[in-house]
Amino acid sequence: MESVKSNPQAPAKPSVSKASKSNKPKEKISRTWPLHLMLLPAAIVTLIFAYVPMGGLVMAFQDFKPYEGVWNSPFVGLEHFRFMFEYPDSKQVIINTLVIAGLKIVFGLLVPFTFAILLNEIRLILFKRVVQTLVYLPHFISWVILGAILTDMLGSEGIVNNSLRALGMDPIFWLGDGNWFRFTVVVSDIWQNFGFNTIVFLAALAGVNPSLYEAAEVDGANRWKQTLHITMPAMIPITVVVATLSIGNILNAGFDQIFNLYNPLVYEKGDIIDTFVYRTAILNGQFSFGTAVGMFKSVVGLVLIVISYRLAARFAGYRIF
Amino acid sequence: MKKWMSVLLVGALSFSLAACGNSNNNGGTNTAPANNASQNENEGGQTGFVNGKYDPPITVTTVQGIDSNAAIFKQGETMENNVHTQLIKDRLGIELKYNWVVTNTNDAYKTKLRLMLSSGEKLPDVVRYRGDMETVNMLIDSGQFMAVDELVEQYAGEEYKKGLELDPTIWYPVTRDGKKMALPILDYAYNSNQTLFIREDWLKKLNLKAPTTLEEMEQVMDAFVNQDPDGNGQKDTLGLAAGFKNGFSNWMTDIGFVFGAHGVIPGSWNPDENGKLTMGSVDPAAKEALATLKSWMEKGYISQDAALKDEVGGSEFFTKGQAGMMVGPNWIPAWPLPDFETNVPSGEYKAYPLPAGPGGKAGAGGNNPPVNGYLFINKNAKNPEAVLHYYNFFFDNFANPAADSEFALGFAEGYDYAVAPDGTVIRNNEDAKKHPDLFPGVDLNNPLPNPLFYTLTFEGARIPTLYAESMVKAAEGGELESPYEKMEVGARKQQNIDAMKVIMDQSDIYMKNYFMGPLTETMQSKNELLSKLINEAYNKIIYSQASIDEFDRMVDNWKKSGGDKITEEVNAWYDSVK
Repeated sequence: MESVKSNPQAPAKPSVSKASKSNKPKEKISRTWPLHLMLLPAAIVTLIFAYVPMGGLVMAFQDFKPYEGVWNSPFVGLEHFRFMFEYPDSKQVIINTLVIAGLKIVFGLLVPFTFAILLNEIRLILFKRVVQTLVYLPHFISWVILGAILTDMLGSEGIVNNSLRALGMDPIFWLGDGNWFRFTVVVSDIWQNFGFNTIVFLAALAGVNPSLYEAAEVDGANRWKQTLHITMPAMIPITVVVATLSIGNILNAGFDQIFNLYNPLVYEKGDIIDTFVYRTAILNGQFSFGTAVGMFKSVVGLVLIVISYRLAARFAGYRIF
Repeated sequence: MKKWMSVLLVGALSFSLAACGNSNNNGGTNTAPANNASQNENEGGQTGFVNGKYDPPITVTTVQGIDSNAAIFKQGETMENNVHTQLIKDRLGIELKYNWVVTNTNDAYKTKLRLMLSSGEKLPDVVRYRGDMETVNMLIDSGQFMAVDELVEQYAGEEYKKGLELDPTIWYPVTRDGKKMALPILDYAYNSNQTLFIREDWLKKLNLKAPTTLEEMEQVMDAFVNQDPDGNGQKDTLGLAAGFKNGFSNWMTDIGFVFGAHGVIPGSWNPDENGKLTMGSVDPAAKEALATLKSWMEKGYISQDAALKDEVGGSEFFTKGQAGMMVGPNWIPAWPLPDFETNVPSGEYKAYPLPAGPGGKAGAGGNNPPVNGYLFINKNAKNPEAVLHYYNFFFDNFANPAADSEFALGFAEGYDYAVAPDGTVIRNNEDAKKHPDLFPGVDLNNPLPNPLFYTLTFEGARIPTLYAESMVKAAEGGELESPYEKMEVGARKQQNIDAMKVIMDQSDIYMKNYFMGPLTETMQSKNELLSKLINEAYNKIIYSQASIDEFDRMVDNWKKSGGDKITEEVNAWYDSVK
């Protein structure tokens, strides 16, 4: 998400490099070294915590035994990957992950997109700020706590089902029926997280030149037309960035959320790759298998990001790098 | 939460454990040599352990992860140098040397152990481990530790031997090729056996008798659900507090007793009539138990949300006063049932035996060997027997000290206790605040430092049967005499004491899981799949999302998907250890 924040500088970057190309490299460094220096801590942290641990990926190709370590554990080639795809449950688990993560990505974009536009129309600045903060708050609550709260609220005697009964409807087994479980998971995830993207979108809206709206008014465009032809196009670039980044998460359906909400009744519709790996690899000490699945997820995520980025660059004309 | 509970228990016990006597000391520490009087001379000559002491002193190296209760020191003391290491040096001539010490948060100790093994670092003479079996197996598989068969035979003291002999299966988890590869650290037995607690006030109100069979239990539950026992005019009560999110054999709110009443324990390997181990979850008898549970769910005896609740979540049905029964170990009156007393001040509860099934016999998981952690002895250790002398010392002096003995009041005055001028014994930091001068160098904002927690054996030594025996004695109206009884049992609630007696009176109904070995090859790859098959089918049947015949389909599937193979492997293991 950090990269999103740094985005406003991104468009400036190509122009800088273009300008500097004409200069001699030495001059360029003498002019930009403070910037490089500032970048250094982040680069070091990334190197230590993101690149160095990648060495551990070798475990995915080993039959890793903790007491033999990475150096002495025997290599088994692609054995763990084969096991992953031959496992009877794999297909179901991958489908569940794709469906849940897909729904989360789509609605995780649509909801804050709409919400940001609506919020942007509000005149009262104080009200706008308060709402903006309030919807962002759930983002900071851990799923361990939210899980307990939801289990209580959605239980058979919980506030939600009691309200349904009061309205004369049948209670719903939110967390025990596969389809309702997916619904609950997606909605609660959106509820928890849409505040963050709302802020990102609002930031983009703040940058729209007011003279565009004035011109549109002069041309006789009403509020809706203005939204359609000025606000929305202005939000396209940032939307593409957010979408591109979230597509990398297509295989992350949210471990902590599902883990705290699921139960054997909804394995069929709610068991995702991460919870499956937790039970298989972590609980049974199969570290190599866990690493292999993690690597599989990362590779798929990387490929998807690259593809969606290329597509975004071609069709929306927007570049991050 | 389980951990939380054991911390509580440890805290309660710690006071009572400390004690014993000088007079005892001679006889005590000599127990091991005394068993082999003639050999003693030889051994004494060889190992230098004469009259309960190494002369000249020896050094034993070890490593330690300091748990939170052992992290409280008197000013100036450390794990390497404190009243415990001093005592061991003075009395036993054993100098404990810690190669490294780490604060045991986030499994830091486990991580460091693994690093030590994989880096090829020189291992200490003794390694202790309490926790997951996977690490225990890893330590054994490393091949760096010795078989302890002869050591135990030769040097284990009487109390330790008695504790080990209580249940021979205690050795199963650490037996390899017929050799015992680690010393079990004993803990109190029967402490996890569960029984049935019933709302006494509801029974009285509805004029009911406590059930003795499943059938009677259903009648009582029916009354609890339909006759408005809480008198609020609403049909909002439950028969039984249940939560099976984590499976069907639980450490509290156990639902396994319904299966046990039909003769099987879910998730447990038990011998059939031919002595072969079979998996309880796929036994045809489990199908009957599922039919029972299904009807309980339909009739509202158990909560609609039972599948979403873990043990603690399940217990809340009882503590908030909604459910009329709850299954749990003897100690639930200490936790979590005080919540119940807060929520329902007028409520009463009492422990009863688990109900018998159609066959006339009750059943539940339990009676597991009283072990909590292991000591591993380096195969190159110079004095491998020293650990046993050490452990014996604690059995003799601290496990159940006599009233007038040296350690009757605690480990050391000014540490875990002190005697106030008026003669009262101070044992906690709150009381100690009134006499800070009696605890020089102790931070009284923390619990008092208890040197027993510094020991290699986690809490000195525990005699497995002592807890249950003392409780039963109290329940039968016996007088509390020894310091242990006064401290441990004296502080317990009556319901707790009675519950232990109920459990001991029906101790033959508890069936332990006989498979205690490392995960077999097929288990490693198939365990998850198989338990998922079972849990999914069980839940769907209970919730009527699948017909009862789903069970047979599941069993077929289980067998084909590796269950048969695992059964073979489990029995091969069983044959190798029994």
